[in-house]
Amino acid sequence: MIDFEPTEEQALMVTAVSQLASKLRERIRQTERDHGLPAELRLAAFEMGLGGGVAVPESHGGAGLGLVTAVLLDETLAVGDPAAPFALGGPGALAGALHELGTPAQASEWLGKLSSADRCGAVAWSEPRAHATRAGFCTTATRSGDDWVLSGVKAFVLNADRADAFVVFAQVDEAAGWAGIGAFIVERAATGLTVGERKVTLGLDAVGAFDLKLDGVKVGPAARLAGGEDFCRSALRFFVKEALKVSARAVGLSQAAFDASLEYVTNRRAFGKPIGHFQAVAFTLADRAMDLEAARHMVRRSASLWDAAATGAASERDALLASAQAVSMSLEGAMRAGDDAVQLHGGAGFMRDYPVEKYMRDAKQLGLCSMTKEQADQLGAAVALGVALDPAVVLPTPDLQAVFT
Amino acid sequence: MTIEFTLTKRQEELRSAIGSLARNVIRPQSLGWDRAHGIPEEFLLRFTQMAASMGGTAGAWGVQGLGATGEEASESAEKKKKSGGAMVSTVVAAEELATGDPALLLCLPGPGLGGPPVRGSGTPEQRERFFSVFKDMSAGLKWGAYALTEPGAGSDVAGIRTSCRKEGREWVLNGRKCYITNGARASWNVVFATIDPSLGRAGHRAFVVEKGTPGFSVGKIEDKMGLRASETAELVLEDCRVPEENLLGGEEKYQTKEGFLTAMKTFDNTRPLVAAMAIGIGRAAYEHAVDFVKERYVLSRPIPRYAAIAERLARVGRDLAAARILTLRAAWLADREIANAKEASMAKAAGGQAAIKACMEAIEICGAHGAVAEDQQLLEKWFRDIKVYDIFEGTGQIQRIVISKRLMPDLRSF
Ligand SMILES: Cc1cc2nc3c(=O)[nH]c(=O)nc-3n(C[C@H](O)[C@H](O)[C@H](O)COP(=O)(O)OP(=O)(O)OC[C@H]3O[C@@H](n4cnc5c(N)ncnc54)[C@H](O)[C@@H]3O)c2cc1C
Repeated sequence: MIDFEPTEEQALMVTAVSQLASKLRERIRQTERDHGLPAELRLAAFEMGLGGGVAVPESHGGAGLGLVTAVLLDETLAVGDPAAPFALGGPGALAGALHELGTPAQASEWLGKLSSADRCGAVAWSEPRAHATRAGFCTTATRSGDDWVLSGVKAFVLNADRADAFVVFAQVDEAAGWAGIGAFIVERAATGLTVGERKVTLGLDAVGAFDLKLDGVKVGPAARLAGGEDFCRSALRFFVKEALKVSARAVGLSQAAFDASLEYVTNRRAFGKPIGHFQAVAFTLADRAMDLEAARHMVRRSASLWDAAATGAASERDALLASAQAVSMSLEGAMRAGDDAVQLHGGAGFMRDYPVEKYMRDAKQLGLCSMTKEQADQLGAAVALGVALDPAVVLPTPDLQAVFT
Repeated sequence: MTIEFTLTKRQEELRSAIGSLARNVIRPQSLGWDRAHGIPEEFLLRFTQMAASMGGTAGAWGVQGLGATGEEASESAEKKKKSGGAMVSTVVAAEELATGDPALLLCLPGPGLGGPPVRGSGTPEQRERFFSVFKDMSAGLKWGAYALTEPGAGSDVAGIRTSCRKEGREWVLNGRKCYITNGARASWNVVFATIDPSLGRAGHRAFVVEKGTPGFSVGKIEDKMGLRASETAELVLEDCRVPEENLLGGEEKYQTKEGFLTAMKTFDNTRPLVAAMAIGIGRAAYEHAVDFVKERYVLSRPIPRYAAIAERLARVGRDLAAARILTLRAAWLADREIANAKEASMAKAAGGQAAIKACMEAIEICGAHGAVAEDQQLLEKWFRDIKVYDIFEGTGQIQRIVISKRLMPDLRSF
């Protein structure tokens, strides 16, 4: 049955997270300057169950609340500060990677270890450049007896400074191209692992992006994430679900930008009336409202299809297609929302007295954090056309870059 | 209560039955109907009977307000839960049916757009009288219609000039109505007129004007870009004498602004339906383009290179999906009897826009084939049919005005 209404339990959680979001909103500039959330708010978020494991099944050490709950909470939090969901304590994106790629035991172990407001996990997928002569990652994982040795450089690793553990993607079989990739859990303390300088970024300043250097980092056999029957397919699932969470944050951002715009155009007067009472302004607002509503429900619908797919009640194909469309819509929508919010504020929008310039910068950065909308469109078309899902096209390969939290 | 987007089993069955009918039976005939400027009555009759025999209420066939007799006006909460919501079923069905031929929905016998105002504002006696016309169509199909637009007033509904004055026990109407769907064939038209243009909306009155009323005649039948199988008529009212029993709702109804509100209420319910129809046409064009790309690029070239086309296709699919979810939301709110004017307008604006884009992109992606090849002429037809979906039932701009007013309650007008 078609239903747009959250469960009572979800509604209660949303209310609680919404209160936290208001506090985040008050300190949005401080968070940006400090490059991180205020410690007490990070703790508060963690105590509300935010931290990465919301949608991970209990069998894998998560809360088992489903992806719908996860996107509802991320959206709500992002209304307060779009950067906040990236800067929480707990396993973060690593939780999703372990769920899709690891065994229940591996996932439970690491979700348990990272389950604290002061701890953090990170995912290292991207690389500075594509390999010159073959498909796949430049970073390699080679056998040394039972162990694996990782060498290479990963790029744009979000939260690498705070992370206690990483899921690192590397080439296991150099001859096999994208079909030859693998993933490993690497601890922060591992010998040969170094975190580079924090990059200066356009937006989302509450979270840092770093290079991660692996110089002959040795890990045991238990560190390998097997990735189920089809590693690339599992990786795709991970990416798409992660992208949906980022999309939920984009929706939260759009809502915040919309709220700010509506308030401003209602109060700001020109030519004798509120500027919102000019048609060009009002129609802009109406268009953003439409984008926002559509994106919000597309993200929720996609999440609900993944939750249904987990029990066989929906097909993975439907979930993939809906997700690709939701990601494209919400990322594009957030960019428009940020841009129009600045535009409707006029010169004031350019000033840091108002939050809208940050929303605009954050929106651009959000669009580069998991899947880009271009990748989402390629995925959407591939599913619609019924062609085989070529990892080089549907996964964000290093030519295209993706960063994670 | 839980966020979910799967149809009930019943809805899914209906969707797939209507979908296969639309594509296997209706679509092959639709170009012929377009060229003949109409759908044969025997087909309409057979179609209506089939709909009934399949157990679908008229509502479930996407024809609530377009073909319903008005009896299934409201469902109990219990029934709603079981059925998945009448309006949700309606928009789902309407989208499917429109993939076959959009004009069919407009041609179906029944009260049409005239249904909602009679249902919503008519006295019990009027409802009985005007809906009973459609109970027995064995002697011939019957239609109702809705006549608001005039040569001088379309979007600006408050500016209608057709006049009405009371003389004894009759009202005398003078004026012209234009672009009225099924206006000529209708057994009755709901005609909007004003007692005094300077009163604006408060001066509006709605009448049920029956065919054969003295002073009522049909003017020009329009020759249109698209939806050519649907009749669009001009109506002329020259000292047209309407009995006072035909003033919709009776005189006391108009002590307030009700008269105008009656007109508008029609649209809150029909906008999601029109959006769904638009999405159906857009989807037909989109699926056509997907098949074309699959055949011409994916399967027939050693190294398929179509990233740019893939992106265009993906965006068309995405924007249709966005419009569909807005439409479902507006319908879902209607089923729960929650005010949905803003959401209905969002659905209508997004649906028209996405579907027009879909038809334009599809025709470009298929290139010359899309415009001329014999086997592709449906694409050319859909391209012509779709434009009006951003015009009737309130243009895209008017939908944005409705949305703006809901966003900024003290906004007067533009
Ligand atoms: C095939 C077809 C079937 C129809 N069926 C019916 C029917 O059954 N019954 C019926 O009553 N009518 C019917 N109509 C009429 C239809 O509802 C009107 O055409 C429509 O409402 C637009 O009105 P208009 O044509 O007078 O355009 P106008 O109102 O003159 O609008 C012209 C342009 O100006 C824009 N505009 C107008 N006002 C504003 C504003 N305030 N701000 C910004 N932009 C504005 C409009 O968006 C539009 O782009 C039908 C029309 C067609 C084409």
